Amino acid sequence: MEREFISNSGIEIKEVYSPGDLPEFDYDGDLGMPGAPPFTRGIYKNMYRGKMWSIRRYSGSGTPEETNKLYKTELEIGQTGLSIAVDHPTSCGFDSDNPKAVAEVGVAGVSIDSLLDMEIMFDGISLEKVATAIISGPFPSAPLTAMYFVMAEKQGIDLKQLRGTSYNDVMGVGGYLWRPDQVSPRHQLRIIVDCIEWCSQVAPRWHPVNFDSYNYREQGITAVQELGMLLANAIGYIEEEKHRGKIPVDNFIRSFAFNMGAHNDFFEEIAKFRAARRMWYTISKDRYGTKDPKCWQFRLHVQSSGCTHTTQEPYNNLIRVAYQVLGAVLGGAQSVHGNSYDEGLCLPTEESMLLSIRTEQILQHETNVINTVDPLGGSYYIESLTNEIEKRAWEYIEKIERVGGIVSAIESGWIQGEFKQAFLEHERRMNSGEVEVVGVNLFKLPKEPYKVPIFRPNFKAPDIQIEKLKRIKKERDSSKVSQALKDLREATLDGENIMPAVTEAVKNYATVGEISDVWREALGTWECPMKG
Amino acid sequence: MPHERITMERQTLRVLMVTPGLDGHWRGKVAVSTALRDAGMEVIYGGNMEPHEIAEVAIQEDVDVIGLSILSAAHLRLIELTLQAMEEKGVRDISVVVGGTILEEDVPVLKEMGIVEVFGPGTPMEEIVSFFQNL
Repeated sequence: MEREFISNSGIEIKEVYSPGDLPEFDYDGDLGMPGAPPFTRGIYKNMYRGKMWSIRRYSGSGTPEETNKLYKTELEIGQTGLSIAVDHPTSCGFDSDNPKAVAEVGVAGVSIDSLLDMEIMFDGISLEKVATAIISGPFPSAPLTAMYFVMAEKQGIDLKQLRGTSYNDVMGVGGYLWRPDQVSPRHQLRIIVDCIEWCSQVAPRWHPVNFDSYNYREQGITAVQELGMLLANAIGYIEEEKHRGKIPVDNFIRSFAFNMGAHNDFFEEIAKFRAARRMWYTISKDRYGTKDPKCWQFRLHVQSSGCTHTTQEPYNNLIRVAYQVLGAVLGGAQSVHGNSYDEGLCLPTEESMLLSIRTEQILQHETNVINTVDPLGGSYYIESLTNEIEKRAWEYIEKIERVGGIVSAIESGWIQGEFKQAFLEHERRMNSGEVEVVGVNLFKLPKEPYKVPIFRPNFKAPDIQIEKLKRIKKERDSSKVSQALKDLREATLDGENIMPAVTEAVKNYATVGEISDVWREALGTWECPMKG
Repeated sequence: MPHERITMERQTLRVLMVTPGLDGHWRGKVAVSTALRDAGMEVIYGGNMEPHEIAEVAIQEDVDVIGLSILSAAHLRLIELTLQAMEEKGVRDISVVVGGTILEEDVPVLKEMGIVEVFGPGTPMEEIVSFFQNL
């Protein structure tokens, strides 16, 4: 059988590309200069010459005390941004003393129960100098954001200057994975949009939402599906705000941020990032009529693809990560996380963390890839691929809009069906050998050649966290806490913006679990339609 | 009262596929559930459950096998709790199989605890299906 040359998204790739592949090429309309519409070549004029991309690893583990040490080590090695990985109980809105949390406190991320934990985690770290992304399930996004803001104010920082990102992605409510005891996507979107409106007023430089297609790309979908879902998701948020009409669309959109995956298909991924910028400009300016150029810029964080990692011969992942990170940079990312080679086995060890930061630093300081902006711009192949990805992604967005937009697509199970179809197909192709993975179904060795160091989570974390919870509950002003939670319940039911009440609650050391319980009771919980 | 399984011979194997705890990864367990169904088995997809719920549902649904899917790194503790819950409910003759990101050095520990087999990342699907068929 003759080998076929097809991209990850199913685009047939030609032997060579030439001017004939770009028949209506219009430099100003299709590309423009970097920093100018339609931003295909990059959102800033001089890109990495002016500002290097942030090295921002998603990390956190055990107690806030341990994570504080981890963050200080990362900053010492030369990491330039932080990204908080919380544990599963925090992501679900459960405190460490909840029976459902029993085995997972501090295991796959750091445990945050109250403001005290946030303060411990950032002790000795200047929030003025480091921009932090708070990554969690969407459910506790609002209280964690409020905690970070309260902590910043205590450090004497003007919230108007505070930089960082909240997660707040509704796709995390049963879209690409399931967390038990969450409110429905529709109710979640309400909480999120409240948070965005509030941030746009009190902390305008803060990114109140991080549309995150990285996580669902990991389900096995294509680059085209990833881009289509990502932008359809952002459209869903804007439609919700338009329906509310509370703040001008420019204010709502101005600080949106995006987070995509960098997969294996090198040139297709670069084309995807370039197409994303052009499409976002079209959506923001043409569809919603925004006037502020900040609303047109597609601010992008990229994480190398965890699902391309193998547990077999784990050192091979170092090479995969290096290619993917290079793709992210040639694609114009503002912030990058190269995964650690051992993440298919465990949370990163200090050694693997160091290697992942070094991977990015070597790219920044030794390879000269930063010297010119969008070095692949104008390549017949890249431009043709960018056009094709864009065309197909628009079609996919239309498909999502035909099923009622992103929230309906999650609630009806349509999105989950797309994922299921994608990963079953990937599974089939892995088994048939159509997808080749070195060391797994190709050149497989009879015996694993490497023994790598393993990170073990701190199994004392639950006891430490529970002890701290007891102390907080004894020491805080309980009447203020119950009043704040009562106000939150009323705001939730009356359709008021929930953030002032959330802020008051966290200031008084109400916990993530207590705040989440208010929403569970007031709004009810939801069953995900993914039924295996 | 200890739970007594109905010993009537059955043609199709009944499997409960579930993740103990709060980890939301579903790709592996949905893929394995689909493959087992395609091979003619009955699969009850449990999503996420607490250990005691797993034991209860396994009894109610009268399953032959429980498949635990774990990628949270909390496998040792979660499996221990699940087996304890089964013990407390008097469940003795249901095999427990584990899949997910389980460290190789933990496999003997899990087998010692009574887990019949552990399938790590990259295991060919046929291998998993044929294991279940031969149970």
